[in-house]
Amino acid sequence: MLSGARLPRSLHPVAWWLWAIALATAASRTSNPLLLALIFAVLGLVVTARRGDAPWARAFRYYLYLALVVVGIRVLFRIVFGTGVTADDHVLLTLPQLSTPDWYAGIQLGGAVSVEAVLSAAVDGMRLACLLCCIGAANTLANPKRALRVLPGALYELGVAVTVALSVAPQLVESVQRVAKARRLRAGRARGIRALPAIAIPVLHDALDRSLRLAAAMDSRGYGRTGTATPGSRRITGVLMLSGMAGLCVGVYGLLDPTVPRPLGLGGLAAGTLACAAGLVLGGRRVSRTRYRPDPWRWPEWAVAAGGTLAAVVLAAGTGYDPAALNPSLHPLQWPTLPLLPAAAILLAAVAAFAAPPPPAGPARITAPAREPAVDPV
Amino acid sequence: MLAATFAAVAVAAPAQAGPLPISQCTTTSGVILVVDFGHFGGPRLRACGSTPTTGYQLLNQGGWKTEGTGHDGPAFICRIGYSGHQSGKKFPTPQQDPCARTPPATAYWSYWHADPGRNSWSYSQLGAMSYKPKPGSVDAWVFGATDTGGTSGGPRFSPDSVRARNTTPGGGSSPRPSPKPSKPAATKPGAAPTTAAARPGTSTSASLAPPPSAPPSSSVSAEPTPTASESSFLDAAPVEAARTDTGSSAPALVTVGLVLLIGAAGAVVAKRRRAGG
Repeated sequence: MLSGARLPRSLHPVAWWLWAIALATAASRTSNPLLLALIFAVLGLVVTARRGDAPWARAFRYYLYLALVVVGIRVLFRIVFGTGVTADDHVLLTLPQLSTPDWYAGIQLGGAVSVEAVLSAAVDGMRLACLLCCIGAANTLANPKRALRVLPGALYELGVAVTVALSVAPQLVESVQRVAKARRLRAGRARGIRALPAIAIPVLHDALDRSLRLAAAMDSRGYGRTGTATPGSRRITGVLMLSGMAGLCVGVYGLLDPTVPRPLGLGGLAAGTLACAAGLVLGGRRVSRTRYRPDPWRWPEWAVAAGGTLAAVVLAAGTGYDPAALNPSLHPLQWPTLPLLPAAAILLAAVAAFAAPPPPAGPARITAPAREPAVDPV
Repeated sequence: MLAATFAAVAVAAPAQAGPLPISQCTTTSGVILVVDFGHFGGPRLRACGSTPTTGYQLLNQGGWKTEGTGHDGPAFICRIGYSGHQSGKKFPTPQQDPCARTPPATAYWSYWHADPGRNSWSYSQLGAMSYKPKPGSVDAWVFGATDTGGTSGGPRFSPDSVRARNTTPGGGSSPRPSPKPSKPAATKPGAAPTTAAARPGTSTSASLAPPPSAPPSSSVSAEPTPTASESSFLDAAPVEAARTDTGSSAPALVTVGLVLLIGAAGAVVAKRRRAGG
C-alpha cells in the first residue's frame, strides 16, 4: 500500500490546491519578512521537487517575475505618495514636494522618504507577492484538467470554462517561447518593438488554432451535451443558480458591511445557499458521468494537505507565541523576531516536497506527436 | 471616512512644540489632548502640549506614543499608548488588531476637535500629521465605530468638561466638576482614587506619571474606568519616553541560513531530477 502510494503519479490536484491556499492564508496573516521569506523558500523547494513537465508546470518562474513587479510597484507608490515622516525616522532621500490645495489636503506627492516607509512598503508588497506565488505554485503543481473532476455536475460547464481560462496563461507562455525559438532558428534580426508583429501574429494564430482544436476535441468527447434534460428543467436550474449566486453576494456583503442589518445579511446568505444547493442537485441529475482512471486520495494527499493547513491554523490562531511577532513594527526601526512555532509550522509545509509522489516521467508526454489538447475524459 | 486619522502632509513639527504640565494649558494657550481608553477598560487621560504643534506631535511627546499601520505608515494612528498607563502598553493590542492593514471603520481611533469657545466636537477632516490645533482648543481620540460622516461615535464627554479653565498658566487647571459628580463613586467605594484625581484642587498630575526609576506598573494601578464616572479624567503628566533598542539581528541571520539551506536542497533535487530524467 505504502509503496503503491509513492509510485510516480500526479498527486490529487485538490491536495495541491488545499496546500497552496493554506499557505496563502498563512502568508496573509503575517507581515514578518522572515516568515514570508520562509514561505517563499518552501514554495520554491516544493515546486522544484514536484512539478511535472506539462506546459503549465513551467509557469512558476513567471509568477516570481510578477512578484518582483508587485514589490517594485508597492515601493514606488509609497515613495511617490509620501505617508509622512516622523521625527525618529531615518530619511533616505527627499523628493521635490508637490503642494496640494487646501480642499485636497491630506494627499502628499513627493517629499521626504524614510527608510522605514520603503521597508514597510517592501514587506507589504512581499506579502502580496507571496499570495501570488502560492496560487502560482498550485497552478504549477496541480493538473487543472484533472481538478475538473471534483466539481459537482451542475457546475460542470462553468468548470470547463474556468479550466480553459486558467490554462490560457501558461499555454500563451509556451507559445511565445516556441515562436521565439523558431525566430532564433531563422536568425530573426528585429528587436524591440519591431519584433512585435513577428511574435504577436503567430502567437495569436496559435491561440485561435488551439481554441478550435480544443472545441473540436471537447465536442467529440461529448462535452456540453444536455442529455435528457428538458428546456424547462434547464431554465429552472439556471434561475436557481443565478438567484442563489446573487443571494450569496448580497449575504456576504451584508455580513461584511456593518451598516447593513445583520438579519438581512444572514437571510441573504441562507437563501442564496439554499437556492444554490437546489440548483446543484437539480442540475446534477441531468449530467451523468462515469469515472475513468479516478485520482486516488491516499496518505501522500493527506500529508500534503495537512502540512499546509497546519501552517494556516498556527498563524491564524495566534496562540503559543507572541502575536505581535507576526506583524513587527518598523517604527522605530528594529530587527524582526522569528517566532518559533509559526516558523516550524511553515517549515513543516515543506514536507510536501517529500511526501508527494514524484510526478510521472514526462518525455513521453512532451513529444506526443498529436498536438491535440489533452482533455482528460471526466 | 477613515481619512480623518490618515495624515499625509508631513510637516516637521516645530522645534518649540513639547509637552507641558496640565496646569500650563489655559483658555488661550496650549492644546488639551484627551485620549479615551474606556473601550479597553482604561481611564480617560488628559494631557497638555504647547503650540504650534500637530495632532501627531501631541500624541508623540511626554510619554505618549503611537503606532501606524504597515500599509499606511505612521501617519495613520492605529495604536496609542502612554507610558504612565499599563507601562506604556499601546492599545489596541496586537491580539485585538494586528495593525498591518487599515483598521475597519467599526474599530479605530477617531479624531475630534473642539476649537476654543465651542462646546461641540467636530470630526477631524485632516489627519493627525496635517492638523494644527489652535491654542486653547481640545483634541480628543476615541476608539470605536463612527459613521462615514462623522456624526456618530464621537466622545461621550463634552469639550467643556475637559477644557482648561484658567486664564493664566499655573493656576488651578482642573476641569469643571461634572454635573453628576460621584454617582458611581458613591456606589462603588473602590473608585475613590479615580474620582479623587478628577476633583478640582487635588494634586492630580502625579497620579499617572510613573516616577523615573520605579517599576512601571506600580503607579498605574488606579482602578480603571469601568467604575469611573461619565466625566472623570486622569491627568497624564509629561514623562520621558522609554527608549527602545533595535533588537537582535540573530533571528534574521538564522532565517537567511534556513532559506539558503532550503535553496541548496532545492538545487540538489533539481540536479538529481535533471540527471534522472
